[in-house]
Parts: sequence; structure tokens; C-alpha cells
Amino acid sequence: MNQQHGRAVTQRLTSHEAAELAAAHGLHEMGVRPPLGRYVKSVWGRRSFIWNLSASRAYARNQGSYLGQAWTVLKPVLDAATFVIIFGFIFHTSAPGIDNRAAFIVIGTFTYALFQSSVMGGIGSVPANLQLIRSHQFPRAVVPLSTALTETMLFGPVMVAMLAVAMLTGFLPGMAPVVPDWSWLLLPFAALLLAIFSSGLGLVFARLGARTPDIANVLPFLLSLGRYGSGVMFSIAGMVGTDSWFRPLLLHQPVAVFLELFRSVIGNEPLIPMTPNLWLEATAWAVGVFAVGFLFFWGAEETYGRD
Amino acid sequence: MTEDIDFEIDAEDLPQRAGERTLGSPSVIVDDLHITYRVFGGRRGGTTQTKTSLLNRAINLGRPDSGPITEVPAVRGVSFVAHHGETIGIVGTNGSGKSTLLRAVAGLLPPTKGRVFVSAEPALLGVNAALLPRLSGERNIMVGGLALGLNAKEVRERTQDVASFAELGDFLYLPMNAYSSGMASRLRFAISTITTPKILMIDEALATGDASFRKKSTARIEQIRDQAGTVFFVSHSLGSVRAMCTRVLWIDKGVLVADGDVDEVCDAYHEFVQGRKDASSGAKLR
Repeated sequence: MNQQHGRAVTQRLTSHEAAELAAAHGLHEMGVRPPLGRYVKSVWGRRSFIWNLSASRAYARNQGSYLGQAWTVLKPVLDAATFVIIFGFIFHTSAPGIDNRAAFIVIGTFTYALFQSSVMGGIGSVPANLQLIRSHQFPRAVVPLSTALTETMLFGPVMVAMLAVAMLTGFLPGMAPVVPDWSWLLLPFAALLLAIFSSGLGLVFARLGARTPDIANVLPFLLSLGRYGSGVMFSIAGMVGTDSWFRPLLLHQPVAVFLELFRSVIGNEPLIPMTPNLWLEATAWAVGVFAVGFLFFWGAEETYGRD
Repeated sequence: MTEDIDFEIDAEDLPQRAGERTLGSPSVIVDDLHITYRVFGGRRGGTTQTKTSLLNRAINLGRPDSGPITEVPAVRGVSFVAHHGETIGIVGTNGSGKSTLLRAVAGLLPPTKGRVFVSAEPALLGVNAALLPRLSGERNIMVGGLALGLNAKEVRERTQDVASFAELGDFLYLPMNAYSSGMASRLRFAISTITTPKILMIDEALATGDASFRKKSTARIEQIRDQAGTVFFVSHSLGSVRAMCTRVLWIDKGVLVADGDVDEVCDAYHEFVQGRKDASSGAKLR
């Protein structure tokens, strides 16, 4: 093949010679995974890139509609309304001992929405940013991290809406009032922990979704399993018998822990008190899952961008 | 990926013939590089074959003509050594693997097999840089500059330069999907030339837009080229390859056909293209 046009290709180096020549002139290899320490440092060095990319995306999210950014808040409100109608009034025995089922459901839905959108964003982040990945050289963790940060930024106004809607539910018939409390100031910290946890999971799914797009089809089922298995709109503690073996499993899995944390911060239910243990558990899940997710994503760093 | 458009180049816009520069130490070593794309759902017989009976189709359901995943070897075993001070042109027909090779050397496409060694981080200069269509030009300059590795302050300092080079005017503050295609490609070009890399890859970036912008962009490329150590240049225009390069690689179906002197390789390539009867080429499928 090389000779077919009567033109000699210059003498080819063997792989060994090529490596020697590279070493002799201090060349480094492209497309190899950097060691973890250097990788963490380079991701940190790109933090303003992550921030800008996230802010730009958050800004562009709902630009194509008349109500624009208002949809960021309206969508979860509509979501919550659906569940309040069904689980707050139709299946009204689903949360025994809860004074304000509507607020309980509203807080659950809004909180789960942040988790859900971060994970969903993570799985599509590498394919969605292929063009960016193939145009510029940067640590690839920037992509799933900025996707998760976009969702976290959008959660800011959503959180305010959540408080407002929760207070309004106090006026519904048969629901106990929700009054502002000093503990509400802790809400941003709870959201931060949830965001760290979700982006860790997002990193795991980003690696899976990068090479196996099929995962994206399975994810909605996992997410709705998570929605029902964590007690977003009913009380696990009240519905599952105290003697069943999977009760502790359901109560201490991370999503349930975060829902419990958010509800305890709102502090309107005597059955859900805020305890230091709850904060410790949530922090452990957030830090642990983020570390595992980051390591897992880094493990395939050199393959992102390949088809 | 790359639109293979043969940009019109006015003869007077061509840069001066590149003089011989003394060769320095190696800057890029490519060792037996293979790049294979995975394509989902490639299958013969979707529309072109005669209809088979329902029964036959039912039986063949699990055995399509070729698998649901097709492997397209775009680059197959390319090796070369580039030195400081070289400007290397890469020529080849559409789909021969030029752009893929360029992206692999730039470290943007991980090699399926083989290795690439570089002395510094290469940068790809192209009109295909990723921009977010819903954002304003201003925000895109920020994101693009940060992606190139500048910090926010440096980008802010250069935003006005980039905007005036791209001749955006007040469109700078409108979302990019309101831009004409010329405007968008001018902005892409301006963003990707913010920095001057040691190893520069140019992918059909020469001559975007109208005649006056072409002159300006050619001048900008020359300026960057003079500062860069090694330049790779992919183009369909043999005229600009002859004018700019000191060495040419000819790729056909992912294999290096020729590597050497500009005139020798360009003449052979020209002869080959003229002699070709049909335009069907592309990567060779297994």
C-alpha cells in the first residue's frame, strides 16, 4: 500500500525507537490518564471554566419560551401539585402521623427534583458535550461537574419557591400551618450536601453513559424506583412495618436520608426532628459518594471523546 | 465532523511561499496510530434492497446483514516524526482520515491503538469549535477562552479585540442563533485564535467569510504560524498547501501514502485526484 504510488514513505520507526526518541527529547505521551493528584489539581485549576459553563447553561436553559426563567420554578410546582392531589387527598392515609401531608409531599418532590436532574444530566453529559471535548484539551470531569452545578444553581430560586408553596399548603383544609423558623437558614447547607452527593452519582453515570448510551433508557426506571423507594410522597417510616427486615435499609439509604434532612430543616413535623446524627449521615453519604464518583470517572479519563 | 468545503482562495490572498526553516528537535512523534469509530445501527438493506417476504424478515430478525455496531477504521497505522520549525500539510480526499488524524495528534480523540508523543500541548484552530447557540457572542467568547485554558481575567481583557476582529458590532450581545452563518464562523475563528500555541493544528480554518475577512484571517494565521513551533495544516486547496508548507503528508483511506517534499507529493496527489473516476472513497470498511 505504501509503495503503490511509487513514492517511498520515510523509514518508519519501530515502537521502541519512537519511545526512545520521545524520551531523549523530553516529549510526553498524549491521551494517557494523568495521575490522580495532578488530575485533581487540573480540575481545580479549571474551576472558573466550570463556573462559567454552568452559569451560561443555567441562563440558556429556558430561553426559548415566553415565560423564560419562570419555568425553572413553575415546573416543580406543577409536579408537586400533581402529587399533592393524588397522595395528599386521594390516598390520604399514606402518611400516618404527619400533620401537613401537602407540605410533606412538596418538600419531597422539590428535593427529589434536584437529585433527579443532576443524575439525568450526568448520564448525558459526555455525549452532549462531544463537540466541546473534541475541540479542546481539559480534564473531562469538568463536563459532568458543570452539568451538576447548573442544576444546583437553578435550585436556588426553586428552594425559595419550595418554602413559599410549603407555607401556602398550611391554608389547605385539614393541613397544619407551616411557619418560618430560624432552622430554615440551614437549608442552603442541606442543599449543598445534596448537590455534592448528586454530582458524585452524576460522575458515576457520566462514565457509564459515555460508552453505553443504553443506560439512559434504564435510568428513568431507576429514578422512579428511587422516587417511590425513598418516600417522596408518602412516609416510609409510617407505611413499612417496624418488624420488616428492609425497613432500616429504606430509612438509611442516601436519598431517604436527604429527604429526612430537608424535612427536619423545615421543622414543621414533630415526628421528624432535626438531629446531629442526621447531618452526620448526610455528610458521610455526600463526601463518600462524591469521592467514589470522582475516582470512577477518572478511571476512564483517556477514553472520553472516543466513539 | 469537518465539513469538507473547498474554500475559494484568491491567488493574491495566498501567503508568500514558506522559506526553508532549519529543523529543530522532534516536537511530535506519532507511532503506529489507529483510530476506529464505533457506529451504531449501520446495516445494509434498510431502503436499497428489494423487499423480502414478511416470513423471511421475521426469520432474519436476529441476524441482520451486518451487526448493529459497525466499526469504521478512520486511521490505520500512521507513523511520522515532526520537528520544530516544520509546517506540515496534510492532504487527502474527502473521508480519508485527515481531520481524524489531526484531532488524534491534538489529543482530542483517544487513539484506539498506538501512541502520540508531543513536546507541548497542541491546540486545534478550526471553524468547528464548539459554541453554545443560545448564548450571546460575549458569553461564548468567555466560555471559549476558558476552554482554551485562559483565565477569566485574560479573556475579559481580550473580549473587545475578539469582537472587533470578528466584526460583530452590536450582535456581540445577541444570542448566537441570531447570527448569520458568516458571522458565526468569523466568531469561531476569532475565538480559536485568542492564544498562540507551540504546536498549532489548522483544520480548514483558512479563509472564512468574505474577501476582506479572508485577507485578515490569512494574516492572522501567518502571524500565529510564525510564533508557533510546529504547524499542521489540513486543506483541500493544494495552492495554499504548496504556499504554506515545508512538508506534506498524503493520507488515503486512513493510511499514509506519501510523506515528503511539498512539490513532489502535491504533484502526485494532483495526478491521483485527476485520474480518479468516481468520488466514492472514504474509510475502508471491514
